[in-house]
Amino acid sequence: MDPPSCCRLTSWTLVAAMLQISGLFLFILGFFPVKPALTGVSGPESYMPVFDGAESHETERLPPDQLRSLYQETSGVTPLFDRLILMVVDGLPAEFVLGKDGSHPSEALMNAMPYTQSLLLNGKAVGYHARAAPPTVTMPRLKAMISGAIAGFLDVAFNFNTQALLDDNLLGQLHDIGWKMVMLGDETWIKLFPGLFTRQDGVSSFYILHYLGLDHVGHIGGRHSPLMVPKLKEMDEVIEKLDMAIIHHHKCNKRTLLMVVSDHGMTDGGNHGGSSDEETDSMSLFIGLDCKVPDYASLSYNSISQVDMAPTLALLLGVPIPKNNVGILIRGIFDSLTDRHCLRALELNSWQLLRLLKAHVPGFSCRNSMSRDANHEGLEDRKCNGSIEEKLCCLLSKASSFHYSWKLQKNSSVISDGMISLEMTVEAYYQFLETASDWLSRKTTEKPVNLLASGIAVMFVSFAILLWGLLNLCKEFPVLQKNTSYQGEAYTNWWHLDEIFALMGIMGHVLSLSASSMVEEEQYTWHFLASGLYFVFLRKAFQRVPKETISRSSVQEKKDSLKPTKHEFLRKDNGGYLKILSILLVLILGRILRGWHQGGVNWTHLPDVSKWLEHAGSLTLKSSQVASVIFVVGLGSLSLFLRSQRSLIYATAQIGIFVSGFLVVLYIMEYQHEGASAYGGILIARMIYGFLGFTVLITAIASPWIIPKSNPFTGSVTSIEVNKWSFHLEINNCTYLVGSTYVICWCLLQLLLQQPINAVPVVLLLMQLLGSLSYFSIATVNHKKWVEVASLYFLGMTGHFGLGNSNTLATVDVAGAYIGLSSHSTFLSGILALIITYASLLLFLPSTILLPMKDFRHKSSPPNAPMGSFLKSSIGMACLMPLVMNSIVLISFTFILLLMRNHLFVWSVFSPKYLYVCANTVSVYIGVSFVAATGAYTCLVFFMRSKLLRLRGHG
Amino acid sequence: MDLLTNHVWIPTIFLHPEKRSHDGTAHQDDYSVELMLSKLFESPIVILGFSLLSKKLEHCSLKWAILRGLLGLPAGALVNAFGAIVFGAPVGIKFLTRTVNWALLMSLLTVVPTASVYGSSWKDWQRLYAHSKPITPIDYAVCLPAHGAVIGAWFGAWPMPLDWDRPWQEWPICVTYGAIIGHTLGTVASFIVILLLSRQQRIKRD
Repeated sequence: MDPPSCCRLTSWTLVAAMLQISGLFLFILGFFPVKPALTGVSGPESYMPVFDGAESHETERLPPDQLRSLYQETSGVTPLFDRLILMVVDGLPAEFVLGKDGSHPSEALMNAMPYTQSLLLNGKAVGYHARAAPPTVTMPRLKAMISGAIAGFLDVAFNFNTQALLDDNLLGQLHDIGWKMVMLGDETWIKLFPGLFTRQDGVSSFYILHYLGLDHVGHIGGRHSPLMVPKLKEMDEVIEKLDMAIIHHHKCNKRTLLMVVSDHGMTDGGNHGGSSDEETDSMSLFIGLDCKVPDYASLSYNSISQVDMAPTLALLLGVPIPKNNVGILIRGIFDSLTDRHCLRALELNSWQLLRLLKAHVPGFSCRNSMSRDANHEGLEDRKCNGSIEEKLCCLLSKASSFHYSWKLQKNSSVISDGMISLEMTVEAYYQFLETASDWLSRKTTEKPVNLLASGIAVMFVSFAILLWGLLNLCKEFPVLQKNTSYQGEAYTNWWHLDEIFALMGIMGHVLSLSASSMVEEEQYTWHFLASGLYFVFLRKAFQRVPKETISRSSVQEKKDSLKPTKHEFLRKDNGGYLKILSILLVLILGRILRGWHQGGVNWTHLPDVSKWLEHAGSLTLKSSQVASVIFVVGLGSLSLFLRSQRSLIYATAQIGIFVSGFLVVLYIMEYQHEGASAYGGILIARMIYGFLGFTVLITAIASPWIIPKSNPFTGSVTSIEVNKWSFHLEINNCTYLVGSTYVICWCLLQLLLQQPINAVPVVLLLMQLLGSLSYFSIATVNHKKWVEVASLYFLGMTGHFGLGNSNTLATVDVAGAYIGLSSHSTFLSGILALIITYASLLLFLPSTILLPMKDFRHKSSPPNAPMGSFLKSSIGMACLMPLVMNSIVLISFTFILLLMRNHLFVWSVFSPKYLYVCANTVSVYIGVSFVAATGAYTCLVFFMRSKLLRLRGHG
Repeated sequence: MDLLTNHVWIPTIFLHPEKRSHDGTAHQDDYSVELMLSKLFESPIVILGFSLLSKKLEHCSLKWAILRGLLGLPAGALVNAFGAIVFGAPVGIKFLTRTVNWALLMSLLTVVPTASVYGSSWKDWQRLYAHSKPITPIDYAVCLPAHGAVIGAWFGAWPMPLDWDRPWQEWPICVTYGAIIGHTLGTVASFIVILLLSRQQRIKRD
């Protein structure tokens, strides 16, 4: 079978890329479902039974006072409170206050909060362990408390810049009935509810106090930090003050509820975000309710869900339950109500959940549930089985029949045999509520199987196409292996150690991703693999050092070099020492980079260079930044100068780099400390963007037209071989210029965007890149092309983690994503965030175009080889190899994510990593397109020019 | 040939008790002491054994062979320590003794035997380690266990980032385990190869 032509290969690659994107899309749609949410706001209609027909959505908006009285008339539940103080203690685990497994908290913690503990003991307060849904980060947890809805994972991931909560929620409802609200503390609230809070004192009815300190203590010193007890004391004093004030103002006929809640817990290390018991153990404490005295044993089993707060508070304060709430009324809170009101509250909650169920299941209709037949015989024993819809229907109808009979009994006051007690009705309601709430909250994690399967299948097909292309390329262009093996035996068909290692590394990395802690600590894996590969290179380099020792094989060598090519005349063997030196440089710099950021999740507290530098002060940081810029500019112009041909385009590139370097220094010196919003800073940053983009673009577009100084197109040279050589050399020169300009400009851009601590790592990455390239360009280095591309990819991934990135979303540098932007734009900030996060990969992947082209002497390419085969041999591998490598990771991790869908860490570890894998895919596409576009454009221009010249020569 | 195989077995026999002596729960400090003791005990045997071997084969004096082995120990330790640190071994005063201990052990397993046998002959070193082309039985005896130790140490580092919180995950315990296991396997392999070689030679002679 003939190898596929360049055109066919390109089109198949494009098809594969398209398939991969669509497969990924399908999988994401299936795995991270967008749950149906009800729009609009609950109004008076929520006090009516649910009808099967369409409900009238729009009711006229009433002024607050009228609305309030309307609610009071129709609800059937009298509000218990007129005023709410919501005290949010960020990150307080419920265990600190309520103890665990029926036991008191430790002595020190009990003593830390004397007032709160006394309230609990006297029954003036009732506390619950509120289970928070992952991800346990503040913003989504506040949303859950206030709206009662559990957000999907993507909703959380893409809202890392806080946005207003538009769904129906408690605060909006309270605002509608004319409550005035005051917020003190964390700004998240203002972002969530813009325009809702006023700064009035005295007449306000809703106070939100958000205390961040405890979370900070946790982040700094962990759960058992010595600062924890003083912080808890402080919180206790606040609670005491508030409670005293409430008692003091009791006369003025306003019933006030004080709630102390936490948004999430924390792990032993003080982190949060995941789904471990310590993190999800948040607290909600009601102070001011008249409740029975609960003892600690019962308290600890008082486990509720965090979303349960929303319906409970709604009915306590006399507003409708928010539409998308999946929580249920907290048991024990409504004990002080009359029986009738209590059942009514449960009924309202059931109706609200029924409405939500109808939105989730389109055909869901409980016609029988509303039947008011008093015939409840056999109802008590009725087992509700069958599909979940039938079960829910059955439970609801059971509950409402009980309720109806109970009301009839109350009215007639006849005591009959089939007495329906209050407890039975309440229990029946709770059975429905719990089943429905459970099912609804699980619905957000339910996966449609066929979507997932088709997504994976499509991705697999794309992978197969890419692999087919890669294997064809390997077969078509086998490297002319000079016999480096010891006694001159021919080993060309054997796998060499570097190839085996690279392949094993790719496989090993993929396998490591199935362990959650290896995902968390992926930086170690990449560093280990990259250093391993370069050690293998080092071993290979030692095979030739010093040259004369290979005396026995020199005979064979001479036989080989009987047919000398121009290539070998042009490049003298620099000896093995340069090889060894450049490999050692890469290795040592890699180790420094590894020590720069500790990275990962489990050992972030260990000392590293970045922490030390941050302690050293801003002057050190700033000077390191400036030195980095100067170094990058110097290194860049040196590498350009070495291949310089004194042509105009070189000068342009140099000037562009100098000017942007100067501007970056200016920005660092003058504007960095002012933050991203200063006018001058924005202007300079934009100028830098412009200069850098302009330099790269001009170089890429103009250089193929200008570069060849000596005209390689005239056929006067006797040897066609030499002519061809110089032709290729010129193309190589041109891509070298474009590639290195890109690399330098990219580094300068990173020096502008990255946080100051990362300035030196950017330089280290650049030096690693240059070291590798100088190693690969030594004539006697003959790795297969795919190994060279793979090694750059390895370095790129190592550098990605070396810049302090990890597989948690927390390390995405959002601050840098606003540099040079005057107004908020999610799209532009997203692009900047991608540039910052994937700095390393986008440095190394495009630089594969700088890899020396050694394959062009291949015998199968005739002197006037068509452009296609030339392109295939020069950049084919640089394009396909990263695609294949990324594809392997993508498809394997998709499988892993599917297998781990019930894993404890699926939301905290595997899902964020999947987002990183997707972003990685995007970066690989960008890098590969750069290589493909530059290579194709340069070749096109060169071939066109040679054709033109030949025509002119003939004519 | 029989004599040779006997010599090859010496280091292996003395490595075995050391391997068995600490179970998974060995404490870091115990471990360090144990490692040091085992080295004190082991190094003369390795050096002497291979020196005897080299004397027998290469007709050089025993004194020189021992001296070469002794010189090889710190030199090999330096190389190994460099490798470990580049691979990510923690640097810092706290880890200095551990790294030094580990490096000395690795040197015993890898560099010292070759140094006693071949001294500073760059050609042979290159042949054995850059090309991995052992020819004579003694080549196999020094080369295969050394390769096994390095490869084993590399694999031994993989469990380190796992969050199992086991004491043996600390640097350099599991790396040492890996190296010792690899070294043992290499020794067994070299033993088998030498047996095969000797049989081949016997057949040829016949």
